[in-house]
Amino acid sequence: MTEPMSHEDLSELVAAYALDAVDASEALMIEEHLAVCPRCRAELAEHREVTALLAHTGAPAPDGLWDRIAATLDEAPPPVELGDVLPLRRDPPVPAPATTGGRNRLWAVAAAAAAVVVALLGVQVVRQEQQLDDLRAQIEEPADPSIDDPDATLVDLTSADGDVRVQALVDDDGRGTLIAHGLPALAAGQTYQLWGVVDEGQPISLGVLGRDPRTVVFHVTDAVRVLAVTAERAPGVVVSEQDPVVAGERVEA
Amino acid sequence: MPPDPMHDVSDATLVVAIGRYRQDALAEAFRRHAGAVFGLARRLLGDDAPAEEVVQEVFLRLWQQPDKFDADRGSLRSYLLAQAHGRSVDLLRSEGARRRREEREARITAEAGYDLEHEVWDLAVAERVQAAMNQLPETERLAIELAYFKGHTYREVAVLLGEPEGTVKSRIRAGMRRMRQGLADAGVGGRP
Repeated sequence: MTEPMSHEDLSELVAAYALDAVDASEALMIEEHLAVCPRCRAELAEHREVTALLAHTGAPAPDGLWDRIAATLDEAPPPVELGDVLPLRRDPPVPAPATTGGRNRLWAVAAAAAAVVVALLGVQVVRQEQQLDDLRAQIEEPADPSIDDPDATLVDLTSADGDVRVQALVDDDGRGTLIAHGLPALAAGQTYQLWGVVDEGQPISLGVLGRDPRTVVFHVTDAVRVLAVTAERAPGVVVSEQDPVVAGERVEA
Repeated sequence: MPPDPMHDVSDATLVVAIGRYRQDALAEAFRRHAGAVFGLARRLLGDDAPAEEVVQEVFLRLWQQPDKFDADRGSLRSYLLAQAHGRSVDLLRSEGARRRREEREARITAEAGYDLEHEVWDLAVAERVQAAMNQLPETERLAIELAYFKGHTYREVAVLLGEPEGTVKSRIRAGMRRMRQGLADAGVGGRP
């Protein structure tokens, strides 16, 4: 197939793609299209849920299969892949961006919820996809911030229109994990940046996340009441002029 | 290890815990979904042994690359099943094993740990899904079954049915949408 396909052609193929019923060249074209078309991604997700139901048999997996898998895990633990470790720069206080009337309501929410400034400890961005095999041997137990803590606070970060939603868990010690899969990938030359809002709405950078972040580990103090993510020009900014892509308030359970 | 620390957490949380190398989280994901993954692979491949290999591959991949799963783009089960389906179809197409395959009921002895609550739910859903499938126009149902359960591309389905490719493509899409509506009407659409 040599002709480039239109959105209409490609969206018609999404159902067949969900069934793995397209040939390899079509699959590639669809995957490229999916990367830039939220509507087709949503349609694919719906078809996949239907196929998941089609696959129901109500029967369990065979005896012993888990034991075989577990044995493999013992022999070959997965690689620990850390990357983008960014020390948080301690800049002197900077004036808040000149904002008022036209700013996104999310920063306004952020401002209302902010409290006292306390120094932030740092941020470490963990990206599973990066290959750092030489770290495998050195790291036995990865950082395990908030996931095991039943009292961790769940922070819902949503966009103004509610279409984009990601979540973070923050435990009592301020260790947080942002599950950033829901953020659409940015174009080259752009990066997401995570902010904590602590003092009358002035955001403090918690780290530069890259253009397609996955799971991000960060650290905040109690003073940070609001988390927000902006899209910035790479490599990131000290003071954001952008409205947040998503923002959410820490509400204690 | 505490008795069952992962029992009540969501699938999305399980995957984050898997990213933290929690084997008990992977075990729980296996307990919840391996039956469906195995059932699908077995239905496509027609044999236990290759189906078990597919299950093993799918769960090892989840262990090694948990970040490939995106909770905002669908459920964990649909993700795992899509992986299993893709892998099974690859095997079918590469090994020409299609002729060795036949439809069989995947009724396997219950494994310890596969709890009754899930089993009952699965069986109830399977019934409703079959009912929704049966309500599709014959042409749409056939196209979907040939593609999904026999591993044919829509072009192959078109040849098998003696229909134009475009017609088959449209029928698959229309049938999938009708299924979704039918399942929604029947109150089926997610895990309890």
